[in-house]
Amino acid sequence: MKIFVLVASLLVTAGCSSMGVEPWDRDVLAKDEMQLTTDALEAATDDHIYFSKEASSGGRGFGGGGCGCN
Amino acid sequence: MAATKGQSISVSLASATCALLGGVTPAAVQAQEEPGWDFNTSLLYYGEDADRVQDLSISVLATRTFMDDRALTMGLTVDALTGATPNGGQYQAVPQTFTSPSGNAVFTVPAGTLALDDSFRDTRVAVSANWTQPFSRLYTFDAGLSASKEYDYMHLGANAKISRDFNQRNTTVSAGFAYAADSLNPVGGTPTPLTPMADVGDLSNRIGDQDKDVVDFVVGVTQVISRNLVVQANYSFSDSSGYLNDPYKIVSLVDGITGDVVPRTPAPGLQGPSHEYVFESRPDQRTKHSLYGQAKYYMNGKVLDASYRYMTDDWDIDSHTVDLRFRWPVGERSYFEPHLRYYTQTEANFYQVGLVDSVPLPMYASSDYRLGNFDAITAGLKYGWTTRNDNDMSVRLELYQQRGSIPADRLIGSQVGLFEYPDLDAVILQFSYRFGR
Repeated sequence: MKIFVLVASLLVTAGCSSMGVEPWDRDVLAKDEMQLTTDALEAATDDHIYFSKEASSGGRGFGGGGCGCN
Repeated sequence: MAATKGQSISVSLASATCALLGGVTPAAVQAQEEPGWDFNTSLLYYGEDADRVQDLSISVLATRTFMDDRALTMGLTVDALTGATPNGGQYQAVPQTFTSPSGNAVFTVPAGTLALDDSFRDTRVAVSANWTQPFSRLYTFDAGLSASKEYDYMHLGANAKISRDFNQRNTTVSAGFAYAADSLNPVGGTPTPLTPMADVGDLSNRIGDQDKDVVDFVVGVTQVISRNLVVQANYSFSDSSGYLNDPYKIVSLVDGITGDVVPRTPAPGLQGPSHEYVFESRPDQRTKHSLYGQAKYYMNGKVLDASYRYMTDDWDIDSHTVDLRFRWPVGERSYFEPHLRYYTQTEANFYQVGLVDSVPLPMYASSDYRLGNFDAITAGLKYGWTTRNDNDMSVRLELYQQRGSIPADRLIGSQVGLFEYPDLDAVILQFSYRFGR
């Protein structure tokens, strides 16, 4: 936990601190369509299809799997 | 001294006031989800051409949000799978007969066609549960469990993730961990790698159930750049160990000069393979590293979602994936979303079209097309709209195409004229309905 906070703090101070918006400028970012994953079910479907048909998986989140996909 | 003391008291009072205000204000302005249920449902048809895999799938993702942004998410997916799948056998100018995975029947593929095993039929049920718990104002903790069951496969998994916000919540750093314990009990038993496909009824090379463990780590940063732009970068590490073969895939044994699969005669009175095939053999360990970047950019109501992933592993597979979606509103309550995805991968270092029978077999070999060298393109269009009851509906149609290749100098004799990569064309049709919010 301490290491996580330390690494996180380093990453943040490394350049992110000057970016961003004030809390009252978040109207656009708060929209559903601006979330990183807009449709969790569609994302899960795609992850499962491509996990089954390609040799790569994950990236956005965990590697997925859990099937003996043919 | 008195003045200093007085100053320090006023400073303390001021900071105490700020701390009190600070403790209260963010909670008051922070956007909170209204407690309640949200249901996300979908019906999916996935169909490959030439009677290959067809999947009809139904999914529900139910989220119950509580006060303080705590949330419980539960998922259920049921897949009904049928169709034929390439077993790895190479093209031949003559018909080929194979013993089915169960070991109690044979099937024959015509001359000059892809070796497809059509005995594949399965139902998969997958469930998941996830709990989200914000704590200490800037942290969020997520923990989840997942399980799935097929006729010949079972998955059990657990995952946990912690995130912390920085810079007025413009930066979020997260770290996650997932563990999966899967087990396989293939139809007819697990074949011993590199042993020959045997006659009907001969299960002497079959071993018991097998296990596979997968450990995943993901660390990521999400950063708000401006009012219209948010980006994310992730690094993930994945380690799989145990039985990593596909128990139904084989490799053809070929003549080193002619390139033809070596013919074989079943034992008298028995049915069996017409040619020599061995079951595939993959290493029992695989380590993958991925870098993922995503950007979402808002332009006057339209949203561009672009992502890129690079993956490399110790089987020598490298891949690049580019994914682009563009959400284009039509009026107040509907939108179109075109989608384009490009994927390319290099082959595993043990990918083979066939193995020459006159030399000792290598330790690892697979003819699984998914471990070969190929490119894939997905092109699709989604249309979404808000219903009169303020629920969301969408339908998307996508075409997925894989095209593979192998360098000509890797082919011998008749393979030069006969080899064709088991290219894939598939249709994805998904209907989604979200309600309850």
